[in-house]
Amino acid sequence: MSLKEELKSERVSHLDLSRFCQIVSGTAVRQSLANMRQNKTNVCLITKENALIGILTERDVLTKVATNPANLNRTVDDIMTANPITVTPDTSAADALWLMDEKQFRNLPVVDRDGKIKGNMTHQAVISFLAARYPVEVLNRPPRPDHFPHKQEGG
Amino acid sequence: MSIPITLNRKDFVSDQTVRWCPGCGDYAILASVQKTLPDIGVPKENIVFISGIGCSSRFPYYMNTYGIHSIHGRAPTLATGLAIANPELSVWVVTGDGDGLSIGGNHLIHAIRRNINLNILLFNNRIYGLTKGQYSPTSRTGTKTKSSPMGSLEQPLNPIALAMAAEATFIARSIDAHTQHLNETLMAASQHKGISFVEIYQNCVIFNPNEWIGLDDRRVRDENILYLEHGKPMIFGKDMDKGIRLNGFRPAVVQLGNGITEDDLLVHDETSTQLAFILASMEFPEFPAPMGVIRRVEKQTYTDGLMNQIETARQIKGNGNLRTLYESADLWTVTAKDQNGVASKQTGQLSLEVDEEYVDELDKEPEVTTAMQDRLIEDTIAALSPKAPITIDVSASLAKAVRQMNTHRIGCLVVTDAHDKLVGIFTEKDVLHRVVGLVEDLETAVIADYMTPDPIALKANLPIAQALHEMHMHGFRHIPLVDDEHRPEGIISFRDVVHHLKERFA
Repeated sequence: MSLKEELKSERVSHLDLSRFCQIVSGTAVRQSLANMRQNKTNVCLITKENALIGILTERDVLTKVATNPANLNRTVDDIMTANPITVTPDTSAADALWLMDEKQFRNLPVVDRDGKIKGNMTHQAVISFLAARYPVEVLNRPPRPDHFPHKQEGG
Repeated sequence: MSIPITLNRKDFVSDQTVRWCPGCGDYAILASVQKTLPDIGVPKENIVFISGIGCSSRFPYYMNTYGIHSIHGRAPTLATGLAIANPELSVWVVTGDGDGLSIGGNHLIHAIRRNINLNILLFNNRIYGLTKGQYSPTSRTGTKTKSSPMGSLEQPLNPIALAMAAEATFIARSIDAHTQHLNETLMAASQHKGISFVEIYQNCVIFNPNEWIGLDDRRVRDENILYLEHGKPMIFGKDMDKGIRLNGFRPAVVQLGNGITEDDLLVHDETSTQLAFILASMEFPEFPAPMGVIRRVEKQTYTDGLMNQIETARQIKGNGNLRTLYESADLWTVTAKDQNGVASKQTGQLSLEVDEEYVDELDKEPEVTTAMQDRLIEDTIAALSPKAPITIDVSASLAKAVRQMNTHRIGCLVVTDAHDKLVGIFTEKDVLHRVVGLVEDLETAVIADYMTPDPIALKANLPIAQALHEMHMHGFRHIPLVDDEHRPEGIISFRDVVHHLKERFA
């Protein structure tokens, strides 16, 4: 079974979506970063009147803020990526992944038809899916790779 | 005053070679335990693992904590003594369906009944694995095994119902293949004071590999597992479209919609004895398998009760005296008789004959059933064409690190020492969480203080499954690759892995 077939029958809502923090438009970058740290997330979704209008990721922080600390005092709107492409929870997981790769996205916010943000899809969701789909091959491995057994044990 | 404990997974990994069969579910449970223990708030020297006999009972060797590999079925007994003697300890009993429910059935029941402060993990694979595949006390009626070629005639034991009968104050269930659920369940068990009984469905890939079909496959598991949450209606299914309703005394699966709403469903209550019995009785596949915390109530622990009694006795009678106590009993003297040893009729020699059938079985290649499984095992990390790592010296400034990342447009630097050996990893996550807006002067700050030291590194000849394992278990997005001298020779990201698996079939 190929990865495409594996993921076709899954909806995005069936995956383990990543954490994100939600921030309202107009918040200072410094505050947004503090919220991301507090929530232990790498992605911040910016909303205006509860509608998603932008996304700020750790990559933006590296490229736009780390090199230019003055940006800490601007609003998150100034450095976010505006109007990110989103998918609905019932989108097939395969379609979502192919879209991410085609557009070179590392994050894909999941928003339902009422505009409510349900989560953020990353490649981690696919990794977790495969790990749980093939536990014998992926999960059931010793703590140190060099200890991998090559034959059965038994009394 | 207590000092905050900062431990990580590596503190709990022992230097012992882990000896379970390839693909055994015990590995996943071990990984989960090693992942969870750093967060339970107990110093390492206060953690003890006690086991009996069986595959799962090898557990204490693999945990870098105190541990006892004890007598068959008697782990709860040793653990009881230890937990009473030193109430500060976090005592974990690792047992299986054979060791815990058959050989040591009584010991288990009574440790539970006494509400000793223990965490009992019962790995249930419904087979005897160490002795090579006989039916166990939890094997379903009709199970054909080496010791029941025409099918087992016995009614299996229900571990949850048994724990209920012994009035366990904490009962939970999880499964090896669901890492996150297992981690959360272990954490909940560790936080409970008194007995915590956790049944973990575990896959014996060699002797009973199909036991948990429907529950351990990511595609269908959410359709078949009822995840319990205190105070929440019992809804389940991939699309959360089914529920559990009580019809008279019987639970029933109902489809939501057509007049049936959440209000009609049972609501989980961890303190309800009656509800716990109902949940215990719900067996997959007739019902979804209930998982999570089934019962959680507060009761006095045995140790607390005992300490109170000792204190009361002391107040009434004063401090005791061991000699007085000893001499207050009837005493008599045992005298030695002339003893002649009995000669053994056996030679005492072990058989040196090899069981050819068993050896053949050992040499068999593991069966691989789908193309994806082939790829996970047969494709090595080298097949991902790992990128050359961008390295930086451990003494470099943060400013240089940030410049390098931006110049190369990458999210991860590999940090090396003067001998070009890998000593750390520094990613854009670190830039966000530890640097930007927190560090005053990037030119004077040194990367060594902000990197993740001694990261997990892999060799390129390992299967892709190993990379997936590390990424899933620890949430890593990048893994450095090293040569035999621990010098970095590549770097892979979670996107590389997904991309490879995607393109292999394009």
